Amino acid sequence: MAIECLVLGAGQEVGKSCVVVTINGKRIMFDCGMHMGYDDHRRYPDFSLISKSRDFDHSLDCVIITHFHLDHVGALPYFTEVCGYNGPIYMTYPTKALAPLMLEDFRKVLVDRRGEEEQFTSLHISQCMQKVIAIDLKQTLQVDDDLQIRAYYAGHVLGAAMFYAKVGESAMVYTGDYNMTPDRHLGAAQIDRLELDLLITESTYATTIRDSKYAREREFLKAVHECVAGGGKVLIPTFALGRAQELCILLDDYWERMNLKVPIYFSAGLTIQANMYYKILISWTSQKIKETYATRNAFDFKHVHNFDRSLINAPGPCVLFATPGMISGGFSLEVFKQWAPCEMNLITLPGYCVAGTVGHKLMSGKPTKIVLDKDTQIDVRCQIHQLSFSPHTDSKGIMDLARFLSPKNVILVHGEKPKMVSLKERIQSELRIPCYLPANCDTVHIPSTTYVKAHASNAFIRSCLNPNFRFLKRSKEENSDQVLRNTNSTALLQVNDERVAEGILIMEKGKKARVVHQDDLLLMLRQKKHDIQFGYCCAAQLDNLEETGNRDGALSHSDKCSCLQLLFKELSNYFSGVNIQDLGEHLQVESFQVSVCLKDNCPYRIIDSPRKEAPTIFFCCSWSAADEKLAREIISAIERFNLSDNLPCKNSK
Amino acid sequence: MEHHLLHICLQSLKDNNNPPSLQALASLRSLIINPNTSDSTIYSILETLTHSLQLSTNSLTTHHHILKLLTDLASHRTHLSSQILNSIHSSSLLFTESTQIAAESLTSLASFSNSDQNKIDDQLFMSLCFAATSASARLRLLRNGERLGIGTHMLFTVFLGFTKDPYPYVRKASLDGLLGLCKSYDLFEDISVTEGCYCRAVELLQDNEHSVRSAAIRVVCEWGQMLIAAKEGNDKIAQSNQVFVQICSMVRDMSVEVRVEAFNALGKIKLVSEDILLQTISKKVLAILKEKNSHGQCTAERFEILASSYAGAFMHGLEDEFHEVRKSACNSLRIHTILYAEFARRSLSLLMDMLNDESMAVRLEALEALHHMATFDCLNVQEIHMHMFLGSLLDSCDLIRSTARKIFKLVKLPDLKLFRLSIHGLLQNLERYSKDEADVFSVLFFMGRSHGNFAAHIVKEVSQEIEPVLEGQLGLDSARVAAFLVLAISAPLSQNQNGQIIPPRLFSYAVTLLGRISCALSEVVDQDTLLAYLSQCSRSSTLGAEVEVESLLPAVDDVVLNRTKKDVNNPVEVPMLQTGNETSKVQPVTSCELEYLATSIVECQADELGEVMKSVNLILARVRDAWLLVQSRCTNAALRALRDCKRELAMLTSTSLESSGAMAFTLQYLQVMKLFAKIWEHAVWKIRSNETGGLEYLFGKLDMRLRELRYRYIGFSKEEELYVLELIALACLLRLSKVEISCSPTTMKKLSAIISHIEILNDKGSIEPSNILMDAKKTVHEIESSKAGISCSLFLITNLDDFFTLKQFSLCSRVRHINAELNVPGNDSENPLRFVSGLPVAIPLDITLYNVSSENRLWLTMRMSEESTQFVFLDLNILGGCNEVKKFTFVAPFYRTPKACSFSLWISIGMECALEDCHILNHCGGPRRDLVYLFQEKEVHLCLVRRG
Repeated sequence: MAIECLVLGAGQEVGKSCVVVTINGKRIMFDCGMHMGYDDHRRYPDFSLISKSRDFDHSLDCVIITHFHLDHVGALPYFTEVCGYNGPIYMTYPTKALAPLMLEDFRKVLVDRRGEEEQFTSLHISQCMQKVIAIDLKQTLQVDDDLQIRAYYAGHVLGAAMFYAKVGESAMVYTGDYNMTPDRHLGAAQIDRLELDLLITESTYATTIRDSKYAREREFLKAVHECVAGGGKVLIPTFALGRAQELCILLDDYWERMNLKVPIYFSAGLTIQANMYYKILISWTSQKIKETYATRNAFDFKHVHNFDRSLINAPGPCVLFATPGMISGGFSLEVFKQWAPCEMNLITLPGYCVAGTVGHKLMSGKPTKIVLDKDTQIDVRCQIHQLSFSPHTDSKGIMDLARFLSPKNVILVHGEKPKMVSLKERIQSELRIPCYLPANCDTVHIPSTTYVKAHASNAFIRSCLNPNFRFLKRSKEENSDQVLRNTNSTALLQVNDERVAEGILIMEKGKKARVVHQDDLLLMLRQKKHDIQFGYCCAAQLDNLEETGNRDGALSHSDKCSCLQLLFKELSNYFSGVNIQDLGEHLQVESFQVSVCLKDNCPYRIIDSPRKEAPTIFFCCSWSAADEKLAREIISAIERFNLSDNLPCKNSK
Repeated sequence: MEHHLLHICLQSLKDNNNPPSLQALASLRSLIINPNTSDSTIYSILETLTHSLQLSTNSLTTHHHILKLLTDLASHRTHLSSQILNSIHSSSLLFTESTQIAAESLTSLASFSNSDQNKIDDQLFMSLCFAATSASARLRLLRNGERLGIGTHMLFTVFLGFTKDPYPYVRKASLDGLLGLCKSYDLFEDISVTEGCYCRAVELLQDNEHSVRSAAIRVVCEWGQMLIAAKEGNDKIAQSNQVFVQICSMVRDMSVEVRVEAFNALGKIKLVSEDILLQTISKKVLAILKEKNSHGQCTAERFEILASSYAGAFMHGLEDEFHEVRKSACNSLRIHTILYAEFARRSLSLLMDMLNDESMAVRLEALEALHHMATFDCLNVQEIHMHMFLGSLLDSCDLIRSTARKIFKLVKLPDLKLFRLSIHGLLQNLERYSKDEADVFSVLFFMGRSHGNFAAHIVKEVSQEIEPVLEGQLGLDSARVAAFLVLAISAPLSQNQNGQIIPPRLFSYAVTLLGRISCALSEVVDQDTLLAYLSQCSRSSTLGAEVEVESLLPAVDDVVLNRTKKDVNNPVEVPMLQTGNETSKVQPVTSCELEYLATSIVECQADELGEVMKSVNLILARVRDAWLLVQSRCTNAALRALRDCKRELAMLTSTSLESSGAMAFTLQYLQVMKLFAKIWEHAVWKIRSNETGGLEYLFGKLDMRLRELRYRYIGFSKEEELYVLELIALACLLRLSKVEISCSPTTMKKLSAIISHIEILNDKGSIEPSNILMDAKKTVHEIESSKAGISCSLFLITNLDDFFTLKQFSLCSRVRHINAELNVPGNDSENPLRFVSGLPVAIPLDITLYNVSSENRLWLTMRMSEESTQFVFLDLNILGGCNEVKKFTFVAPFYRTPKACSFSLWISIGMECALEDCHILNHCGGPRRDLVYLFQEKEVHLCLVRRG
């Protein structure tokens, strides 16, 4: 089985996010966005690649939308109402609430302002939204018998989510846009550690590493504070959702702390409505706001009032939030015209302004005059402060997420190609995860994990339940002396629990696979267990037995015992700390056994003709493979012994 | 009822064939936990339970319930616990097939006794652990391992082994166990054991379960520290770095719990290399470090990977969504800031940014960190920080403001601009929160003292504002002006104040605000010292660099310094880091700031004493003028003049004991002269001769005052002593002159004693005795010889006015005042001391004695009514020597407690007049001579102890 990933949009570009993933036969479309930069067919993803017959209901199992931005949701009404997709669509509750607002707003702009032919109507939007199934954070939703999806918090904008999808044993995460650092009103992305085959992540800032936003906040507050302290007016042109709330929380909090009395105004319009949504959707905001909610809704701003047009020229300092963000027209432009000529006033600009807007002109250089049209010129004498807060994660955030999730593969979308390439390099070299950057309309095939179901025998299950750990010494530091001295387990370095490893997988033709315990295997095969035993008969020098005579005959029982006891004494001296047991007939250390050998032709004896000049006694040793090392040690020691006295043997060899 | 219940239950339990019903067990439990259940019932329950514990027919659940009941029983009847312990111990449960039951019984064992009692066999424990098939049984065993008194080595083995368990809770329990074991040093001997455990914990940092990960962090931190401790020299730092980096890799965990744990752990690792620390506050891999590494051990790529694993660790912590994490990050950052100057500089910006945090706790923690840095003198504030830093002075939270001010007290500002900003910020704070006044003043004082030059500058700039605006009306009620004055008066105390002159009049303005300022500076300086300082500075017309004023307030600084030093909870030893080929610059951590101010107080006091003496003598000169008025029968004008003198004297303030002695003497003298003037009116001019009673009262008062004048001052020169004696002689003569009372032989006796004393004094020196003395001498002789005193004396006294002229008297020696202070701590009419009628009561007294020598015999007098006074002798030899100032606590017994609900005692300290005649007073063991009282009587309230 494989995961197949068809990129319809946002492949090596920013805009019209749309990725169709096939996992284990299930097909999911993640996001259905439009490209704001194009007016032609390139605006929408090429849906025909999904199905030549345009039978989307059968070729797709579901559509998942991550958040309400148009480059993620913009093409949805077109896809459902025009292209005719009727299957399930999943998005979070806030996205479901806010997406129609955004779509409607966009439709109006297209039709009313630009006079374009409309791609979809208001009716389309509302019909499309009726097909949407809302999902909550961390709620696991069973789309059908095999496919389950789950939403995780992504930060970025209200309601943004990352989606986890799992079919059988194959699992993946599609992030959408996300933010790994919290801001004043939204939290940081949050996800569990999951076993993933694939991670598809955005990469808007693939190479940027952003410094702390606190410095930017500080500068912003300082600029605003100094301006109002000097009696000036502050104009903050913002987009209705997101930035306005963030800055407002920042200011409201600061006002509260510093006990400032200067009024803050919100211009009427979408902002007020948006604030209402924020007030309702508290559970999607940051921790702080959630915590304080019990006492006060953070979006019930204490110092914020509604703005009245008559206040534009009212004396005294004030702060005003006005839409649209780039001063491209509307109310913010109106206020700008009035306030720009005064040095005391301050205009703050968002981080990004489209070329052609007043905002863009203000950003590029410091113009003293702005020509709106041939009749209108505005003297710009006010101060200008540029804000650059971004709700996207930076490259470090992407790396951190990838490191945390440790998926088997990563696909980067939603970014600029050169930057994505460098991020890809980093992911491959630092995290050692294969990484892909498919272009639009490319397909990436990724092998997915395959699992075989197997029966487990009772004995195997029991052995799995019982602890069975062992301690191992790291081999590079191993040296024989240490091993002997440190047979008490505490000194060993590594822990190993082998209970799973001790199972045996049996796959027979025509039968289901089984995992059995090793004891079961013997039963199944009707075989006996064989243990490998090593044997060796070693010689030791013996002096004092000479006097007792009796050299040619068998040693008496008492002789045998005394020999063993001598050996026991020697070994105990030599290997202090090793548990040597005297069992009468033989000595035992672990599995190593030694007894006196009386046979003339012992099969384990290598030197069959003992040196006649010195009296010799033979010890028959046996041990199992596990104690090989120990056995060799002991044998070499025995061979060096001279059991008559404690002097080392002068070996003539 | 009880027995009935018991009966039913026991029946049910004894029925071996059927398991006991839950209901029966529940009733048993109700009996057990009821404290009123009789002992006999409890015993029979215990017996039955013990019995049924032994039965092998019981099912698992029954055992479970019985064990639970026994545990309950043991916890409610602690005296039975050992018996229950034995019964569980002896039961065969521990050796049954079911490890579940065995584990449970072990848990019960562990739950109600300490480890000594219920030691179980290591071997048994081990076998149970291995046999336990259910995870919960293992969990129980591991959690109670330590309490069961298992050997450390055995425990270690088991814990380490079970870190491989497939169940996360078991893994966590074994990690917790390992954490507990790290205190056992016997394991520590073998470094490979420590290493093994550490490595295992490092592996578990990647566990899928967050509780395991956070437990693993704790183990990595603690065992890592053991590893660090075991290493020496460069290895130590390398190891330390390794542990630090290992924990750093956890700060990006998705679980809050894990992140908090990670930052807590980061704060525990001391001695981390500077480059690693620098990297933790930058998300980008630092170029300098790459260069440094280029001749290092690992490849560039490898290094980058390594560095990126801990890059920006602290930044992430400070940016975290959860305030717990941010707080913990601030806290651990604080530990590391003071080690390296460069790191301190860079992390300062981060900490300053944290002052804008939305959570109060985090802001406070950041301020604490800044304070820590300031204490160790590595807080180098720059202009970019000032907005936030000053912002915290205006915070709406009191705690934040006061912590911020604490930092400003210690901060060292590099230039005037920042200083001006800071002063401005403090003034704003004052403006907005007037309740902070005292603290703001004290901060201004500290800042002015540490930045004398800047302070002088500022004062110069605002001098217009301070000067009286409208017709001499000082704007002194304005807190702002007061603040500038505080700044002004602090400037001369600074060392780096080079010739900047603070106009002396500012000091006199400051005197008018003495109360306010001294209240603010109470922790630094007491009011008297401050006043002396101010008055000196304001008086010296040539004030400038040559005036030695900085010697003031030295003791203060030590106090403040010591306090701040103590604040720093863990004094960090100065570590000398030698990392490889580069030597890290280590900032000296101990700060000996302000030590320069600890110069001698003596010079200053000498100056001040001279000033006081001068003023005192001026006043004394005017007394003589006043006396002339008395002699010219203008008594009222004389009294008025004397009162003026008194008022003038009150304007003077003293800081040292010596000057206060002179002043006290002068005051007493003035009072004596007032009495003389009044008596003169009666006795010599006989204007109001009809008021004999009043005169007698005046004489009594005069006697007392004169006695005090004679005995309560030491260090008189001969002239001065003679003068005092002369006054006493005069008083005697005056007494004698009044017919109605003059016959008193005591007065005669006294007069002759005085005269002989004067003669003795005069024998040694050659001072011309005054007329009055000669006269007095003659009178005494005549009276004694004629034995017909009255007529003679009458004749003599009429000429008194001609004979007596007040000499020009001036004080030149250092007179010291014998004085005492007495206090009964915590006693007032609301909080009386308790007594039992008829039994002695102990009265705790805080006593301070000034200039008392061991020759003085001091008595504590306790007066309940006029008649009954109890004396207690204060043996100064026993109370431990004599100093100029002696402070001690004395518990005085009062014996004759009356039969009353409550009463008051009047307590005072009296000194025996050594040179007076002995006359046995009617009290046994009381003083033998007259007493001069060193202290106004103090009222002590006592109240009967009530029953119940």
